[in-house]
Amino acid sequence: MSTAQVAKLSADTVTIEERTPFQIVMNRFKRHRLAMVSLFIMIGIFIITILAPVIAPFEIQELSVNDYFVEWGTVDQATGRIHYMGTDNIGRDYFSRLIYAGRISLSVAILSVLISEFIGIIVGAISGFFGGWVDAVLMRFVEFMLTIPTLPLLLIISSMLLRNDELIAIPEPILKFMSSILLLSPRDSRNAVLIVMVLAGFGWLSAAQLMRGTVLSLREQTFVEASRSLGASNFRIITRDMLPNAMAPIIVDASLGLAGYIVAEAALAFLGFGIQDPVPTWGNMLAASQQFMLDRPWLPLVPGLPIFFCSLAFNYIGDGLRDALDPRLKL
Amino acid sequence: MTAYFIRRIIQMVIVVFISAIATYALLNLAPGGPLAGLRQVQQTGRFRITEEDIARIRAYFELDLYLPYRFTRWLAGWPTGPVTIGGKAYLSDVEVGCRKPIETEVLNDQGKYESIVTGCNELVYMKDLTGRRSSLGIIRGDFGLSWRLLRDRPVSDLLLSRLSKTLQLMGLQILLSLLIGIPLGVYSAVRQYSKFDYIFTSLAFMGSAMPTFFFGIVMILLFSLLPKAAGLPYLPAGLSESIRGYTIPVIGEVDAGSAKDRILHLILPVAVLTIVNIAGWSRFVRASMLEVMKQDYVRTARAKGLSERAVILKHAFRNALIPFITIVVFTIPNLFSGAIITESIFSWPGMGRLYILALGDNDYPVAMAIFFILAVLTVIATLLRDILYTVVDPRIRLS
Repeated sequence: MSTAQVAKLSADTVTIEERTPFQIVMNRFKRHRLAMVSLFIMIGIFIITILAPVIAPFEIQELSVNDYFVEWGTVDQATGRIHYMGTDNIGRDYFSRLIYAGRISLSVAILSVLISEFIGIIVGAISGFFGGWVDAVLMRFVEFMLTIPTLPLLLIISSMLLRNDELIAIPEPILKFMSSILLLSPRDSRNAVLIVMVLAGFGWLSAAQLMRGTVLSLREQTFVEASRSLGASNFRIITRDMLPNAMAPIIVDASLGLAGYIVAEAALAFLGFGIQDPVPTWGNMLAASQQFMLDRPWLPLVPGLPIFFCSLAFNYIGDGLRDALDPRLKL
Repeated sequence: MTAYFIRRIIQMVIVVFISAIATYALLNLAPGGPLAGLRQVQQTGRFRITEEDIARIRAYFELDLYLPYRFTRWLAGWPTGPVTIGGKAYLSDVEVGCRKPIETEVLNDQGKYESIVTGCNELVYMKDLTGRRSSLGIIRGDFGLSWRLLRDRPVSDLLLSRLSKTLQLMGLQILLSLLIGIPLGVYSAVRQYSKFDYIFTSLAFMGSAMPTFFFGIVMILLFSLLPKAAGLPYLPAGLSESIRGYTIPVIGEVDAGSAKDRILHLILPVAVLTIVNIAGWSRFVRASMLEVMKQDYVRTARAKGLSERAVILKHAFRNALIPFITIVVFTIPNLFSGAIITESIFSWPGMGRLYILALGDNDYPVAMAIFFILAVLTVIATLLRDILYTVVDPRIRLS
């Protein structure tokens, strides 16, 4: 067996092209078929939600008075637009709301991941690099936060924040930014900003632990030592030597995190402590559909399936990335 | 070892204490609460509520006391009045709260009026606390009185009435998950790369990505609503027992509140929780089983001619269970909280549903009590897990 392999290898090595690390990773990722399928599905969903204003025939809060629960594909008499998935209980176009809901749910998840990984990277890098009392204080804090039961605490915080939405003053630019992403009024996007804060506020803990572990193991490596002996500053060592090497687990964590945040956001909305009704999210559409599912059993499937597919797809992508980025990484 | 325990227990107390302060402050600092509705009534002017009424209601909910005093009274039932030493009362003139705050309408920077407390018409002193109704404090097991859900009844009554329902659900769920999940994981690992293993791992992967709330709704659709509409045998969903008797095709007549009724109501929520749990646990068992099967001692056991059955059950399986035990221990707090979502979908009258109701209804004493119990349980479970590590694997030392 070994001789055959050697022969084959030597024939290949002559013609092998030079490949960038990105190409190597991409090639390995392509081998994970479900991850590739998931990637295409997610790109499709992203394009649809980005093009929401173009695709959706109706506005989010546009009411067709007296047209409650019309059939799929009903044509709006006045304007000639089509209710592809009919309307909801107060006459809002279901298909348009579904697309906008996707835009909101995905944006909230992506922003939460970006913020939590960013905080996690900084805290983890500082903690692992400097060690000593800084490390002790930061990691005790992380451990403390992790011992608190998460879901009940999330519920307490978001119920408080949502009920008194003046409690925390959110700077105008952030609201403007959020409203331009979500295509909502700044007032309506307040909820979304609060939910991102709550989710990211608890999400950075595991990223910090991950980053710290990686930095700790990298700190002893010879290339870091070499950098230091060349007179590199701490900042340079962290950003140039350690970060690129720590990216693999962070990227995997982020991909799995996306799945987690989509489900968490939907769960909060489902329980009534997330983004509230006039603003559609998959979670609150699912919750609203619950009381009408006796007559319309397909209704909960419409917002529910996208949540499940996104969660599954990001899990597969994370799985594929883990295999591609670092075959030694496990679980 | 003793030193380790003492340190851990001190840490536990601190963790519980800090999280209690944090959540208490969070719930109590925010405006709203039991007075929110009152002010609206007052504005309509039909039932004119006097300033004295509001002061009385504020005193009733202890809202007239300053936060630190309110907190210590909630936590430890102290202070209940001036300290008496040798027949003489001390600290009786310490200011502990404000009975009638002066509220001024101020124009804020967003151009809206908001009322800000600018002073106090009538202070509350320590001596006023004597004779006031007070709980013994949460650390002595007195969770105070409910504000909304069961007005004026002890929170502990409310909790106890819900506890057995949650225990039923979770006990059954954990038992079933263990009985089904462990064999599945082991079998899948032993037959690695077989067709069964392939199907099992894909299903388990999907199961762990499945959001519980959506899964619950799909189960209700599949096993309750649709078959019922089609006239087939169906399972009742919602509550833990029905209010009126009903007839199910094939199964026959079911009386409200009978054992049959309760069992039928249990099936769906338990199934949802069990399936989701199995997906996670069996994947874990499979991974740790695969890890162990690669070890030298398993090869040794095979080499000395033991039957495959003995190798797997006696040598591999027992060691594979070690890391798994710690996962199971960690579900203890979930006994009470993990089912928040499932209990909500099925309107199951357990602790998780109670928690959601309490938060939605501003019944802070109830929400705080549940959260406090959860925090204590989680901390205990963490300690138990760490101890179990050393028990099952003597190579790990606690220090």
